[in-house]
Amino acid sequence: MEYLFLSLLLIPFAWICFLGLSFFARINFPENFLSESVKWISIVVSLISLSLAALVLMNRSQPVHFDYPAWIQIGEYEFKIRFLVDLVGATYALLTALLIGIIFRFSRSYLHKEEGYFRFIFLLSALMLGLMLVSFARSLDLIFAGWEMVGTTSVLLIGYFYNQVQPVRHSVKAIISYRFCDMGILAAAAWAHHYMHTTDFTVLPKLLEDPHILEAGHGGPVALTFIGLFVIWASLAKSGQLPFSSWLPAAMEGPTPSSAIFYGALSVHLGPFLLLRFYDYFVHFPLLLWVIGIVGGLSAIYASAVGRTRSDAKTMLAYATISQVGIIWIEIALGFTQFALFHMVAHASLRTWQFLRCSSLIQDFFENPVVQQNEKIHRNLSFEKFVSKPMRRRIFIHALHGFHLDFFTQKVLDIFSWPLKVYIEFEKKWMSMNNNVVKFILKKR
Amino acid sequence: MTTSQSVPVFKVNNRRQNTVFAVLIILGLVFLSMFLSNNGTTSLIVSGSILEFSFDKFSLFLGAIFCVSLFVGLFPIRNENDIGEAFPLYIAGAIGIILSNNLLTFFIFWSFQRSIPAFRFIRGMRYENFSTGGTFLIQHFITFLCLIALIFLAAQSGVASMSFSQIPADFFTWPVLVLAFIIIYESHGIFPFHSWVHDLVGNLSWYKISSLFLSRAGVLLFVKFLLPTIDQDPDIFRIILVSVSILSSIYWTVRGIFEPNVSQTTTYFYVAQSSLILTGLQADMTAARGAYLHMMVISLSGTALWSLVSYVQRYTSIKRLNQYYGLAQYYPKLATLFCLFGFCMIGTPLGAAFVVEDLVINGLLDQHPFLGLGHILATCLNGILFFLVFSKLFLGQSAYPQKIKNYDMTLTQMLPYVTVLLFMFLIGVAPSLFLENLKW
Repeated sequence: MEYLFLSLLLIPFAWICFLGLSFFARINFPENFLSESVKWISIVVSLISLSLAALVLMNRSQPVHFDYPAWIQIGEYEFKIRFLVDLVGATYALLTALLIGIIFRFSRSYLHKEEGYFRFIFLLSALMLGLMLVSFARSLDLIFAGWEMVGTTSVLLIGYFYNQVQPVRHSVKAIISYRFCDMGILAAAAWAHHYMHTTDFTVLPKLLEDPHILEAGHGGPVALTFIGLFVIWASLAKSGQLPFSSWLPAAMEGPTPSSAIFYGALSVHLGPFLLLRFYDYFVHFPLLLWVIGIVGGLSAIYASAVGRTRSDAKTMLAYATISQVGIIWIEIALGFTQFALFHMVAHASLRTWQFLRCSSLIQDFFENPVVQQNEKIHRNLSFEKFVSKPMRRRIFIHALHGFHLDFFTQKVLDIFSWPLKVYIEFEKKWMSMNNNVVKFILKKR
Repeated sequence: MTTSQSVPVFKVNNRRQNTVFAVLIILGLVFLSMFLSNNGTTSLIVSGSILEFSFDKFSLFLGAIFCVSLFVGLFPIRNENDIGEAFPLYIAGAIGIILSNNLLTFFIFWSFQRSIPAFRFIRGMRYENFSTGGTFLIQHFITFLCLIALIFLAAQSGVASMSFSQIPADFFTWPVLVLAFIIIYESHGIFPFHSWVHDLVGNLSWYKISSLFLSRAGVLLFVKFLLPTIDQDPDIFRIILVSVSILSSIYWTVRGIFEPNVSQTTTYFYVAQSSLILTGLQADMTAARGAYLHMMVISLSGTALWSLVSYVQRYTSIKRLNQYYGLAQYYPKLATLFCLFGFCMIGTPLGAAFVVEDLVINGLLDQHPFLGLGHILATCLNGILFFLVFSKLFLGQSAYPQKIKNYDMTLTQMLPYVTVLLFMFLIGVAPSLFLENLKW
C-alpha cells in the first residue's frame, strides 16, 4: 500500500520537474507527445488510485498512517511528514485522478494547437500533485503545501488567456480571495502548533478529550475554538462560500476544461474536504458546527437566487456549484459526513460533465433528449411560483446585483484603507516640507 | 508572438563593469569559502586601535549574499546596464559595515556608505533641480546624531571600541535600547522611520539602492549588538520591536498596492519582505534560522526582480502601472523568471520561502501568539502585491503594443538567474541540508 500511495505523489512530482526543466532547456515538445504522455500518466495514476481505494475498502476502511523522517528538524522543532490513507483521502485521490484524466483527454481536442497547451498541461499536473498532497496529508502544514499549489495553479489558469485584460483582472480577484483565506489555514496550523503542539488532525480531537487541554495553559476554549474558526475561514474562499462568493463566477474566464476541474469539481470541493478532515475536532465545539451550517445555508440561498438571474451557462453553473457546496456544508454541520463525501463525489462528477458539455449547450438543447427532459422537470419544479410577484421582482433586482456583495466588500476595503490614504497624504506633505527645508539650507550656504 | 528583433547596444563602461564583477566574484568566493570552512566557533578579528573587523560566520554569510546577489543581478544585464562611477564606494561601504565588529567601526562605515547618496542628493538639489531627497538627508542626519549619542554613551561606559560580543548586558539601558531601535529600524527602512526609501527610487540606480539594503546595516547591528542580550531586555521592548516590523511589512505592502510607479512598487515589495527578517530574528533560534534563510532568499530574489524590472524598463520605458502591458507576449522567458522569483519570495510550496514561513511563524508564535497572526497577514498581503505587479506588467494587452519591442532574454542571460532559482527550489525541497549550516 505504501508504494502505491507514494507513487501517487512521486509520479506527478517527477512529471512537473521534467516539464519545468525542459522549459528552461528550451525543449519544445510536440503537442502529440504531451497529450500521449499525460494520457498514460493519468491512466497509471487512476489505476493506482483505484487499487489504493480498493485496498482501503478491503482493510474495512481502517486508516493507515505513514510517518517519514522530519522534513525540517531544528532543536525541538520538527516539521514531520505524516500521511494518512483512509476512505476520505483515497476517495478524493481517486476522484482527482479520474477527473483530471478526463480533462486531459478532453483538452487534447479542445486546446488543440493552442499556444498555451504546454502551460496548461504543466499547471494541471501541478494541480494533480497539490490535490494528492491534500488528499493524503495528515497535518495542517502539509495540507497547506498542497492547498497553496492548488491556489496558485488555479489563479494562473484563470489568467490562461493572459493577453486579454478581463481574465487577468479576474485572476487578481481570485488571488485576493485565496490569499485572504489562506491566512486561515496558516493561522490554524500555527495556533494548533502553539497551543496543542501538533497539527495532526487525527490527534487534535483526541487531545480535546483530555479535560486539562481546555485549561488556560493551552489557550483555553477560546483559542481552541479559534483554531476551528480559522479552518472554516480557510475553507470559505476555496469553496466560494459567503462572503467570498463573487470570485468564483468571475473565474470562469479560464478555458472550459480548467473551469470544469477547478470550479466544478476538485478545487471547489477542497473546502468541504478540509471540513471533513476536521469534523472530529468540530464536534467538540457546537458553535463551529452552527457556523458551518449557517454559512452553507446562506451561501446556498444566495447562489441559488443570483444564479437564476444570470444568462450565460458557465456563470449559472458556477452559482449552482456554490449552492450545492453550501448544501454539502450543511450536511457536514448536521453530521452526515459520509453522505457529504458521497455528495461531493457525485456533484463533482456531474459538474465536470456539465462544464465540459456547456460549450455544446445549444446543440444539446435541441438534440439531446436528456437535456430536454431536464428542462421540463426544472420548469415544473420551480419554487419561484410560491413567492408573490412583487416580492419576486424585488428579489430579482437584488439578485441581479449579486446582493451588492462586491459593493459591500469594496466599502469594507475602503474603511480599512482609509487610515493609510490619510497617512500617505500626510507623508507627502511631510516629505515636501523636508525638501523645502533642505533646499532653504542649501540656498543659504 | 512577435519575432525577435536586433537588440540595440547601449553604451557601457566595460572596464569599470569588469572591475566590479571581478571584485564581486573574488570577494564572494573568499566569503563563501571562509563560511564553509569556518566551524562557527572561531572568528578572525582584525583589530586596530579603533577599527575592528570580524570574519565570523554571520558576517561571512552576509558578505557572500551581498556579493552573489549583486553579481546575479548585474551580470546578466551587463549590456543593458551601465555601472556608475560611485558604485565601488557603495560596495566598500557595505563590506565595511558587514565586517564591522564594534560600534565605532560600524559608525564610520555606516556614515561613509550613507554619505555617498547624501552627497548625490545635495548635488542634485543644488545644481540639478532634484525635487526629492530632503527626507533622506534629514532622516539620515537624525540617525547619524543617534549613532553619535550611542557612541557617546558607549564611550562613557568604556564599550565604544569593544567587540560587540563583549559588551555587558548592563550597558543596555532604556536610552541605549531606544537609540539602537531608531538606528536599526531606520537603516532597514522600517515604519515609522521609512520615508527616506521613497526618495531613493528614481534618483538612484536600482543596484545602488540594492547595495544599500544588501549591506543589512540594521540586521547586522541587531544580530551583533542587541541579540546576544535580548533575553534580558524588557518584554515590552521586544514586543514593540516585533510589532513594528510586522506593521511595517503590512504598511509597505498596502502602499505598494496603491502605488502606480513600477520601480517604487518593486522597491516596496522588497522592503515589505525585508521588514519581516527582523521579526524572525527576535523570536527564537528556530525562527532565527528561518530569518537567515529569509534574508538569503529576499536578497537573491529581490535583486533579481529589480534587475529584471530594470531590463524591461530599458527596452520599454514603462514607468507606471496604470494599465496592463502584456509583456509576457514579448518577454515570455523574462516573465517566467519574474514569476518564479516572486513565488520564491512569497512562500509558494517547493520554494525556499515556504520553509521560512513555517520556521518564522512557528517560532514567532511561541513567543507572541497574536503577533504571529500579524506576520501571517503580512505574508498573505505580500502575495497579493506580487501578483498585482506581475499581472500589470506581464499580463493583459498593452494599449500601445507598437511601443514594445521584443528583446527577450537569451539562454546565456538566463543562466545565472536559473542557477539561483534552482538553488532556491533545492532549499525548498531539502531544507535541512542548508539549515544545518545556518548556525553561529
